[in-house]
Order: sequence, then C-alpha cells, then structure tokens
Amino acid sequence: MKRILIDAEKCMGCKNCSIACAHARRPSGSLYDIALSDPETESRNTILLDGKKQYKPLFCRHCARPSCANSCMSGAMVKDAKTGHVWYDRHKCAQCFMCVMNCPFGVLKPDRATGKYVVKCDFCKDRGSEPECVKNCPTKAIHVKEVD
Amino acid sequence: MKHVIIGAGAAGITAAKVIRENRKDDEIVIISTDDAVYSRCMLHKFIGGSRNVAELSFIPPNFFEENNIRWRSNKTVTGVNIKEKRIVFNCGKCGKQSNESYDRLLLATGSQSFFPPIEGLRPGPAVCTLRDLSDAKKIRMKADNAKNIVIIGAGLVGLDAAYGLVEMGKTPTIVEMGQHILSANLDPRAAMTYQAKFEEAGCRFIFGNRVKSIEFDDFGTSGTIVFESGDKLPTDLLIVAAGVSPAIGLLKSSGIPYNRGVIVNEYLATEAEYVYAAGDITGLSESWPSAISQGEIAALNMCGIKSVYDDILERQNTVNFFDIPSLSVGRLNPEPGDVVHIREDQQRYQKVITQNNISVGVTLQGDISRSGFWQYLIKHKIPINNAQESLWKTSFADSYELDANGEYKWAK
Ligand SMILES: Cc1cc2nc3c(=O)[nH]c(=O)nc-3n(C[C@H](O)[C@H](O)[C@H](O)COP(=O)(O)OP(=O)(O)OC[C@H]3O[C@@H](n4cnc5c(N)ncnc54)[C@H](O)[C@@H]3O)c2cc1C
Repeated sequence: MKRILIDAEKCMGCKNCSIACAHARRPSGSLYDIALSDPETESRNTILLDGKKQYKPLFCRHCARPSCANSCMSGAMVKDAKTGHVWYDRHKCAQCFMCVMNCPFGVLKPDRATGKYVVKCDFCKDRGSEPECVKNCPTKAIHVKEVD
Repeated sequence: MKHVIIGAGAAGITAAKVIRENRKDDEIVIISTDDAVYSRCMLHKFIGGSRNVAELSFIPPNFFEENNIRWRSNKTVTGVNIKEKRIVFNCGKCGKQSNESYDRLLLATGSQSFFPPIEGLRPGPAVCTLRDLSDAKKIRMKADNAKNIVIIGAGLVGLDAAYGLVEMGKTPTIVEMGQHILSANLDPRAAMTYQAKFEEAGCRFIFGNRVKSIEFDDFGTSGTIVFESGDKLPTDLLIVAAGVSPAIGLLKSSGIPYNRGVIVNEYLATEAEYVYAAGDITGLSESWPSAISQGEIAALNMCGIKSVYDDILERQNTVNFFDIPSLSVGRLNPEPGDVVHIREDQQRYQKVITQNNISVGVTLQGDISRSGFWQYLIKHKIPINNAQESLWKTSFADSYELDANGEYKWAK
C-alpha cells in the first residue's frame, strides 16, 4: 500500500502540511485568505512537540490493524482491502466517537464546526494527486512510498 | 471445511469475514435469531426515527453474496451436540426444528437483557427491553400511544432508550437505584451534564428508590410501579434496562462449560473440541470493539492460524447525547492515594486520575479531540512524561517511534 512516510528529524515545524490539508477541503478561496480561527478550517494532521521541544508529525498511518475501523460500529470507518487505506464515510457515521477513543496515537478528533463527523485523512483520494501535505512540505519530512 | 457461526452481530460477522479472507473455499454458515444485520449501538436512532433498518447496518449490502456466506436468519439455536458436531435450531416463523453440522463452530450469541427479580415483573405487552431490533420496533410502536413511559435503569442502554424517545417527542421517567445516571460510564460531574439536558428535554429522574413490585392489569397493558418508599408510578410502557448477561442458554445441556459466560482459553477455544467463542458471550467484555477483536482472533484459530487473544481489557466507553461527546477509560473516581487533575471551562470538563505518576483513569467531556493516546497510556501503564510543562500537554510525542513500514509504535 501507499503510505505517507515520516522523517521527523527533517521536520522544522513550519506547519505547511497542516495549512495545506485544511485548505484542501475549502470549497473556494486561496491559501492567502485562509482563516485558521474558522472552525470549518481544519487539518487532519498536526505536529506535536515532545518534552524536548522536538517536532513530531502526527499523520494518520492507515494502520495495518486499524483500531479506529475495528472499533467502528456503523461501518463508516473501513479498511480497504485493495488499497490498504482506511476510508471514512461521514454519512454512515453515528457520531459515537469510539474511533477517537481507540486510535492509540490520538490522531482522530470530531470536527470543530458541527461535532458530527470525524476529521480523518483520506489520502486526498478525490484530488487525483499526491496528498496536499506531502506536496507542500518544504523539507521532504513526509513523502509517499509503497510499503508492505 | 465447514464453519458454522451462531450470531450475526459484531463478533459473528467479523469472524465470517476473517475466515473468508483466509480460506477461499471453506463453507461458511451464519445462523441467527436476528433477521437483519444491524449495530445494536445505533438502535436509539431507529427509535428516534433518524435511521431506518438499512441504515443501522454495519456491513455493505452485498456482504453475504460477495463473501459467499450462507446466512440462515430468523433461526434460534437451542442446543449444541459436541459429539455429533451439530447444532439444533428452531425456525422462527414455523417453529420447525432442524439441525446443521459443523467442522468448526463459533458461539457469538452476545448478551441478553436481564430481568431483575421484581415482584410482578414479567414479559408482557407493556414491557420491553432494548437489545434487539425487534425490541426497538416494539418500543417505537408502543411509545406512539403511551402516556406514561418508564425506564428502569439509567445506564447506557436505558439512556439510549430515553434519547430515542426524546427524539420521538416523548418524555420518559427514568428510575435508577443509584444516585446518578451513567454510574458505570462517567463520574458524577460528567453525568450531571447529560442529566440536565435530559431534564431540559422533559424527562424526569427518580434516584435511590428501589422498585418493590409492579402490578399490571389483566391485559398487561398498563400497571403501577410500587417503590419501597411506598410511592407509586403508573406506566403503560415499561422499558427494563437493568443490565445484561451472556447469552449462554443454548449451552445448557451441551456439556460445554461456562460460568457467567462461556469459558475460553487464550485462543478463544472453549473446552469442547472445535468449538470457539467470541464477543459478549465470553463474559470477557461487553463492548463493540472487543467483540470485533475477539471475532477476528477466534476466526484465525478456526482457520488453523494460531493466534493469541491478548487485548488488555480496560473499562472504556464513549457517550454522545445532545451533541456533547464524552469518553472515559479506566477509573471513574479516585481511590485513596490517587491524584486528580481537573481542567474545566464552559465547553469542557477533563479529568485525569494518576497513581504514582501513571494515569489510571481519564474522563473527557465536551472536547475529546486527539485524545486516543490516553487509552494506550492507561492500558500499558506508561508514566506521564514530566518533561512536558503540564500534564495536559501529554501526547504520543514523548513515545514517538516509527517502524520500517512507517507505522507508529510506542517507544519502550
Ligand atoms: C442499546 C445498546 C447500546 C449499545 N451501545 C454500545 C456502545 O455505545 N459502545 C459499545 O462498545 N457497545 C455498545 N453496546 C454493546 C454492543 O452492542 C455489544 O457489546 C456487541 O454488540 C456484542 O457483539 P456480539 O457479536 O458479541 O453480540 P451481538 O451483537 O449481541 O449479536 C448476537 C447475535 O447472536 C444472535 N443470537 C443470540 N442468541 C441466539 C440463538 N440462540 N440462536 C441464534 N442466534 C442467536 C442474535 O440474533 C445476534 O445476531 C450497546 C448495546 C446495546 C443493546
């Protein structure tokens, strides 16, 4: 499957990945009029700081054994046997947020604006190109690679 | 090889899927009382009217055909003959008895609602539980004309029923022996948030008053609840949500040993050869994710792929009523020697209980964003990293590692 690989050493915490991700879901506008305080503007990824102030990029791994999909009781979160990705269908979602509680890395969250769906990486699958986060990383701390 | 699975719930369906993934040509049969596949956790949405039966499903519509699984629905298994390797079942519609042979058998019958020993309480036209879709249908139908809906038990199932009813425009009275709602799921402070919302919606709660008896009229369509205090409450729809127990009825004369649930080893095998069990029936847990995980492990073992069930079982649940999300893992209330950390404002209430700097319980309400790591910390007893400026900065970052495939793993 294709996964976004992370080289945390190369991350300088610029958050271009997060802005690119949030912008990718906006119906219109450009990167220059994005309002980060707008609850509708949300990134699937984020960058954590560890106790030594090192940057630790937090991106959905589309895990081999996804705890999110295995705790989903509505069929909204499903591991795709063909591509290996974990897809999320907000129309099926029952807002139980078991996935949020069960992601061992704390990647998932309810959306800020409505609290009615889960903010989850979709690999920019409908955009027909490389994920926006990867395209916008200036240090190549993230890149897409075929893995087992 | 022929695999027979009893139960079309979380564990049974998952097992069928996993068997098919690993054994292309094996025969798979699912037998269930249920005549639809649905998520029990969403039944309140059916009562409330926001979802129909198809929308309660957690599998794709063509699941059985695509995976070449034979589903025998509306059949209730009454016995297991482990010598002849066959099960006996009744057809729901005609009541006719038939049987089905197996090479490998999975018991995945889930739980059944428990009727507390209250004088006069017995199944009848005005009495419901909430476990199956048929229960939800009965509640929805009866509630339409009911004037005095009473729910016994303010746990998650009782409140799911209440929430569905509120969405129907009804205002049930909820009777709870304890002092607050959701006492197995939330601490009193977090529970109060929901209680206030239910009350705002017109519901009434009666706490700490034990039901002594129930007197029904000759038709069983209406009755009176009598409390130990002497108080009385009329009812024409009584929903009993006083807990569940593993559905082991079919094992009575099978020789397969059980206590509260059926006894399994680390491979989820019962003591009878070729018979496995997964989900609520094992009594190991009562949750959806555990049923999925056990279904997967049991299926692998049924396929001859030795797999150990080693999930760490910790009490955990989420709650979401009135668009206020909550989750809790581990301890709800501190024990002597524990340290309690609380952060709250108008939108959120967050509590972490630690013991010797290890988190043993977390309750989050309002804001549950990116909080999944807490469950991992609690289950694996990972100390809070004191290099962070505050406990609230705790995250996966301090245990951050990646494996060769780019998956995250927790640093040792
Ligand atoms: C109202 C409600 C809300 C819930 N909410 C949550 C929640 O938010 N989070 C959570 O984690 N869990 C929740 N649960 C619990 C969760 O639904 C169960 O833990 C889970 O469904 C267990 O899966 P299972 O496969 O073991 O059993 P079940 O899903 O109960 O499936 C059992 C299957 O066995 C069949 N069966 C039973 N006896 C027989 C028989 N003798 N012959 C043939 N077939 C039989 C049934 O028809 C059914 O198909 C909730 C449960 C209820 C009732």
